[in-house]
Amino acid sequence: MPENSTLPRFAVLQLSGCAGCEVSLINASEWVDQYQLVYMPLVVSTHAVPEDTEVLLVSGGVRNDEDIYNLRRAVEIVDRVVAVGTCAISGGVANLGDRDDVRAMFMAGQDRHHLPHLLPKSHPVDSFVNVDLYLPGCPPTPELFMAALLDPENYQASGIVCGECGRKKLKDMRPQHLVGFQQGEVLPDICLINQGYLCVGSSVRGGCRAICTRPGHPCVGCRGPSDAYIEKESQVWFDRVQNVFERMTDIPPDEIRDALHSPQLSMFLFQFTDYADANRPPRPKEKVL
Amino acid sequence: MAILRFPLSRIEGHARVEMEVHDGQVMTAHFQAIEMRGFRYFMQGTSAEQMPVIVPRICGVCSTAHHVASVKALENIFDVEPPELAREIRELLLLGQLIQNQATSLFIFTMPDRVGASSLFHMDESEADPDHQLSLARRSLKVRQVGTNLITLAGGQFIHPVKAVIGGVTSGIQREPAEAMLKDIEALLPVACELFDAYWEMSMAMGERIGTWGDDQPAYYIASTGRTRPRLDSDTLRVLGPDGVERASFPPRLFRSYLDYEDTAYSYAGQTSYQGQVMRANSLARMNLALSMGTPLADGYLEKLTHTFGKPAHPILLFDLCRGIELVYAFERALEILAKDLDYEDTEVPYTLKDGEGYGLVEAPRGPLIHHYIVTDGLVREAEFVIPTVHNMLAIERALKVAGERYISPEAINLELEKAVGRVVRAFDPCIACATQ
Ligand code: SF4
Ligand code: SF4
Ligand code: SF4
Repeated sequence: MPENSTLPRFAVLQLSGCAGCEVSLINASEWVDQYQLVYMPLVVSTHAVPEDTEVLLVSGGVRNDEDIYNLRRAVEIVDRVVAVGTCAISGGVANLGDRDDVRAMFMAGQDRHHLPHLLPKSHPVDSFVNVDLYLPGCPPTPELFMAALLDPENYQASGIVCGECGRKKLKDMRPQHLVGFQQGEVLPDICLINQGYLCVGSSVRGGCRAICTRPGHPCVGCRGPSDAYIEKESQVWFDRVQNVFERMTDIPPDEIRDALHSPQLSMFLFQFTDYADANRPPRPKEKVL
Repeated sequence: MAILRFPLSRIEGHARVEMEVHDGQVMTAHFQAIEMRGFRYFMQGTSAEQMPVIVPRICGVCSTAHHVASVKALENIFDVEPPELAREIRELLLLGQLIQNQATSLFIFTMPDRVGASSLFHMDESEADPDHQLSLARRSLKVRQVGTNLITLAGGQFIHPVKAVIGGVTSGIQREPAEAMLKDIEALLPVACELFDAYWEMSMAMGERIGTWGDDQPAYYIASTGRTRPRLDSDTLRVLGPDGVERASFPPRLFRSYLDYEDTAYSYAGQTSYQGQVMRANSLARMNLALSMGTPLADGYLEKLTHTFGKPAHPILLFDLCRGIELVYAFERALEILAKDLDYEDTEVPYTLKDGEGYGLVEAPRGPLIHHYIVTDGLVREAEFVIPTVHNMLAIERALKVAGERYISPEAINLELEKAVGRVVRAFDPCIACATQ
């Protein structure tokens, strides 16, 4: 991958995240022949996005003032901006801290001079700059990265995770309660809802090839809602999951409702519809891979 | 007084180095973590059972270690012992992590320093022979990929694993994928060795060129692996003195009696010491502790290291070589486990929630990692993450100061300093996302 090659140039800007998105990108090494990586501090020693860079992938949320500065400076140079991963799209896991009690603790305990100044919360990238393509997932799989870089329009995936899961939904296996892993085993081949797990794969966008549910862990929805719910309020989406559980189980509706509001789901499921920054239109589904 | 500021790349996360220089004297060298998300705060109130899925997001590089440490802390609270099969699958997970991490550190983070390139992907434009370097890059990525594939096989999701749960794992590994993985690892083990040999040569040449492997003084070492063979999920931390004699061994719940923690005003990360003494965690600590690796090829390399550099060995560039030994070990050990039956029923045992306080220890690639939770009514009241990089902070700063003194004189600053700063920091392979969470 020589520097002077005519291959299109891309850069990766990492804001405040976990680097999982970058690690996933390195796992997809096919781009080596088709793109020229010009900036990505995790793997390349360069200190700014160079001119003539076409695509900018942004991962991580905007968590401090240096993130804002780096983001604004980088987008000026490039033609196309891709927001990669839940953190960049909605603030991600760090958004679990978007509560008054946590903010108070956090801001009180973490004042530092001469360091990037922390913001009260983690912001999505599109609070500050325009985004051309959203690539959800925590992190997106290498396959999704390749699709985003090479041919986002023609990526083939199921509408929902269930379509890629391969577990069978049974009519006559109706749990009374959510049991989680306390029961001590996960049966193969049978839908996790039938076994009393809180799996939301039935309304989460496909494309990850159901990597969690196949080996027996419920989908926590890291890819966000499917196209059917992505432009709607989260309540519509909640009602849908609630319906699925009421149809397939005898679990009391209140129990399901409470569970759906748990932290592990809320870090992903609100990522397209509910912003803490009010008055923003939903992201159009055409822009979401 | 002048302040020299060095941005850093090819490490995990956002950090920089600041040196205060006065009349050619290095007054201070600060290693600053400049990001923070606040997991220890926002995990409060989370349902305890969801922790193993959320905490891997502390760091996409060390995710597997957080996943397993979290499960162990909860098992400690709920008083449940995972079955043997679950332990083996978790070990595979941690081995996958070790392969991925050590390969990343060796090939992506530090190999470019050895030939003066800006990255592994740009090594063909360095002074070295183009064809050879390009194939080096590709082979390196393949070896690294083995780690990722192993995490996927043993952990489900490939960056933030999901398969370890309180009481066990969600499923075993079927014979067919296990065989396929086995073949893959067998095919790539010689490639890993070949790359490590090349890396060793490049390192010798670099040591020759810069005239040192690190001038810093000896230090204390901390690790939680076994002495006769590595154990990634042991329940004991050990501290070695600079002379190689074991000074302490203790369970994770007693860590506060042995280690002193301090916040710093100039960084979002704190720093720990062993009763006021500078200590080091990570690969060199483990190799100084290990009498043997328990697998043939890795033992050969360990012998070569001991023969060449003595034991305990202190020069910091040896951290990098030690990572290579562990890379080879992890390949060999994964072969041993994958040869066993991993597909029988006994994957998990049931448990009931209860209130309590628990600790989970694993040896992450960067050193001993402890998760400490207090749980009431099924919710996490307090979460504490004791991070290996934080144990290395004082050692990193001391080594940076030594490097500064080597290259700064009242007359001039040698341009090699910037490179030296990068080499020093990368030798410790710090992880900033973890250190600050
Ligand atoms: S989206 Fe997930 S993988 Fe990506 S940076 Fe955020 S937490 Fe890490
Ligand atoms: S609900 Fe979950 S387990 Fe059931 S089919 Fe859908 S993705 Fe699979
Ligand atoms: S199965 Fe669900 S949680 Fe897992 S990667 Fe796919 S969308 Fe994300």
